[in-house]
Amino acid sequence: MQMETVRFTQNDLAKYPFLKETAEHMKKLGLKIEDLTNPEMAQILNRAEERVKNAILSVSVGRKRENYVEIPSFPVAIILAIATKNSFIKKRYALAEAKQAFIDMQLENRERIVAIALDFGWNLAVNHNSEIPLEFEVNFADYLRNTAHLRDKKWKLVNRILVNGKVYLNKHDVARLLQEEVQRRIEERLEATELPNFPEKITDLAEGLLELAKERIGQEEMEGFPKVVSQSAFPPCIVALQEAVAKGHHLSHVGRFTLTSFLVSIGMPSEKVAELFKSFSDYNERLTRYQIEHIAGERGSRTRYTPPQCATLQTHGVCVNRDALCRWVRHPLAYYRLKLKRG
Amino acid sequence: MTTSSREFVYGKFSDFYGDPSTIIPPPTLLGQRELGFLLLKERIMLRHKGFANIRDLKLFLGEAVPSDVYRSCAYYENPTVEMDKKGWLGADLVFDIDADHIPTSCDKLHDEWACSKCGFSGKGVTPEACPICESQKFNTKTWPCEVCLESAKEETAKLIDMLGKDFGFSDKEVSVFFSGHRGYHVHVENEAVKTLDAMARKEIVDYVSALGLSLLGGEAKGRSARRRRSRGFSLHNFGWNRRLKLGLRDFVLKATKEDLINAGVKRNYAVILRNKELILKRCIDEGRWSSVKGVSVGTWRKLAEYVKDLESAKIDTVVTTDTHRLIRMNGTLHGKTGLKKVEFPAKHLEDFDPFEEAVAFKEGTVKVVVSDVPKFRLGGRVLGPYKRQTVEVPTAAAVLLICKGRAEVAS
Repeated sequence: MQMETVRFTQNDLAKYPFLKETAEHMKKLGLKIEDLTNPEMAQILNRAEERVKNAILSVSVGRKRENYVEIPSFPVAIILAIATKNSFIKKRYALAEAKQAFIDMQLENRERIVAIALDFGWNLAVNHNSEIPLEFEVNFADYLRNTAHLRDKKWKLVNRILVNGKVYLNKHDVARLLQEEVQRRIEERLEATELPNFPEKITDLAEGLLELAKERIGQEEMEGFPKVVSQSAFPPCIVALQEAVAKGHHLSHVGRFTLTSFLVSIGMPSEKVAELFKSFSDYNERLTRYQIEHIAGERGSRTRYTPPQCATLQTHGVCVNRDALCRWVRHPLAYYRLKLKRG
Repeated sequence: MTTSSREFVYGKFSDFYGDPSTIIPPPTLLGQRELGFLLLKERIMLRHKGFANIRDLKLFLGEAVPSDVYRSCAYYENPTVEMDKKGWLGADLVFDIDADHIPTSCDKLHDEWACSKCGFSGKGVTPEACPICESQKFNTKTWPCEVCLESAKEETAKLIDMLGKDFGFSDKEVSVFFSGHRGYHVHVENEAVKTLDAMARKEIVDYVSALGLSLLGGEAKGRSARRRRSRGFSLHNFGWNRRLKLGLRDFVLKATKEDLINAGVKRNYAVILRNKELILKRCIDEGRWSSVKGVSVGTWRKLAEYVKDLESAKIDTVVTTDTHRLIRMNGTLHGKTGLKKVEFPAKHLEDFDPFEEAVAFKEGTVKVVVSDVPKFRLGGRVLGPYKRQTVEVPTAAAVLLICKGRAEVAS
C-alpha cells in the first residue's frame, strides 16, 4: 500500500528541525561555525542559547520564532550543547527537543505522522483493518527498537495487539515512540568525537550554560554516586543476591553479573567485590578478579558494565522481594540513587 | 567412562565425521559465523574458529573429532578475532526449548542426582539444595525420555504458532530442529529482527512466555485490589487476548473438577461444571463475562491466569536474549547422546520422531554392560529396561547409553 508522500513545509522544518530534510535545507544555506559571531546571526545564536537553557531549566525548548531564525537555531544549539562537553546537558537537551516534538506531532494528521516516521526509516502505515480500532500499524521490530526500554507495562509487546508482524497503535502512542527516535537521533549528533575549535563566543556561552546547570541541578546529581557505599540503600534483588553469596549458594550467570556490576557501579573497589565470592566452592581468585575487572572496565574492551534493568532481571528470575520503592524505578541503580536521596 | 568406552565413542564419532556421505548443512553465511568445538579426547573448548566453506569444515571435523560442534547465531565481520573486535553485524533469533525447563508428567523419574558434597542421591527433579547438607552442587544423570520430548514438542508447537500468526514470520524464515538431546531449537532468519538488541529480544521472550501480561490486573495501574476487581474483565480477538480467549474456551470445555481446583476455583467449580455450555456461549463467545451467577470477574481472572501458563511457550530465556550465543550446528552429533541435531519442516512437528530421525549410527551391534536404564525406543527397536546386565544392543543404543553414563563397553 503505497502512500502519497507528504512534502514538508518550512513550518514543518521549523517544528521538526531534526528531520533529514531540515539538514538538507541547512546545507543549502551554507551556515559556517565562524559566521556565528557575525552580528546578523545574533538572533539565531540567541534562540539557540535559549533552546539549551530551557532544556536545563525545564526540559523544554521555549517559544518558537520566525522560521528563518528557528530552523538554523537548532544546529547551532547542537553545537552549543557539544561545546559544554557535559553529558548531562547533552542528554537533557536531546530529551527537551524530543518532548517538544511529541507535543507537536499529536496535532498532526495521519499522513504527516507517516511521513515523519518514514524519515526515521520506519515501516509505519495507516491501518486499514476495520476490525481493529487503531489508526496505525507498524512492523514489530521497529516497535521494539523504541519501546524495549520504556517503563510502563502498557508498552510491553505482550500487552499490544500483535497480528501478523504488525503492532497496532493510536496516534498518541506513535507520537510517543517517535519521541524516542528523535531523542536518539539528537543524542547521536551530540556525540561528535572530533571537536572543532569553537569561536570564543560559543565557548563563552557554553561556559555560562555549564554554570547554570551546576547551579540548578547540583554537581552531585550530574556526576553520579557519592564515594561511600551505603548497604542500607541496596534494592531487594541485590540484597537477595548478597545473602545467597554469603551462604555459599550457587548463583546463575545473570545473578553473578548483576551483583558484580551493581557493586562496581556504585563505587566498590574490585578487590572488595572479589572477597565476596570467596565462599564459593568453585572460587578461583585469579579468574574472579579477572571477571570483576572486566566488568569494571579495567580490562578488555574497557567498557564499564552496569547491571541489567529491572525488566531484564524479571525475565531471568533475578527480581525478588519487590518493595514499595521498586514501583518507582526501573533500574537497580535508580533504586539505590532514590533511596540515598530519601535517606 | 572407561578407556575402552571412550575409545569406542571416539571411533564412532570419528567414523561419522570422516564418512564422505555425512552431510552437514551449512548455516546461512557460514563465513560470517564463529564456530566452536568441544574436543572429545582433550575435553577442551576451541572457540573463535571460522570456515569459509563447508568442505574445509568437514575436513577439520574429521581430524579434530569434536564431541560437540557449535556455531554463532551472530554474523560478524571477523568471526575469528577476540570478542570485542569481531564486529557484530546481527544475529538470528533463536529459541531453545529443553525438557529441563518444563514440568513433565514423567516427573523426571528417569533422572538421577547425587550431591557432590555429601554424596546423598535420589531420583527425579534435582532439588534446589541437598536435603542433608544443603549444598547446591549436584552430579546429575539425565535421560531423554519420550514423555519429556513430547512435552518439549508441545511447547515448540505453541511457539511456532505465535511466530507465524502473531509475529508474521513466513514458513521459510522459521527453521525447526531436534537438538539431539532433550529438546528443540527454533531459528528465525529475518532481516528486520537480525539487528535487534538484547533488550528487544527480551520483549520477544516476554511475549512468548506471557510475562508481564497486564490485563490480568498485576500491579500496573489499579492501586488497590478493590479497584482492580471493579475494572471488570474483557478480552478482544487479537494478540494475547485472542490466545487467552481460545485457551479459556478449550479449558472450560474439557475441565474436570480437579482441573478447576488446580486453577484456583475452590468453591464454585460445581457451577462451572453444571453450566459449561451456557458459560461458553454467553461469557466467552458473546463477551458477557459476568452474566452467569457464581462465575465472577474474580473467577475469570483466576482462570485466565491459569490458562496463560498453559498457552505460553516455556523457553530458555537466556538463549534468546544472548546475541552472541553459540548454538549446536545442524547435522552434527550431540556429545551426550550420539544423536544428530536435525532439521525438519515445522508442519511435520507433530509426526516428527526424534528416536528415529536423529539416529546417526545405523549399523552393527555392540556388547555393553548396563548399570540402570528405563525401557526406551531407538531406531525402530524397543530396548530395556536393563539393570546391571550385559546385553548386545544396536550401535546407536550403545553410544547413547555410554554417552549418558549408563553403560560401558563389555570387555
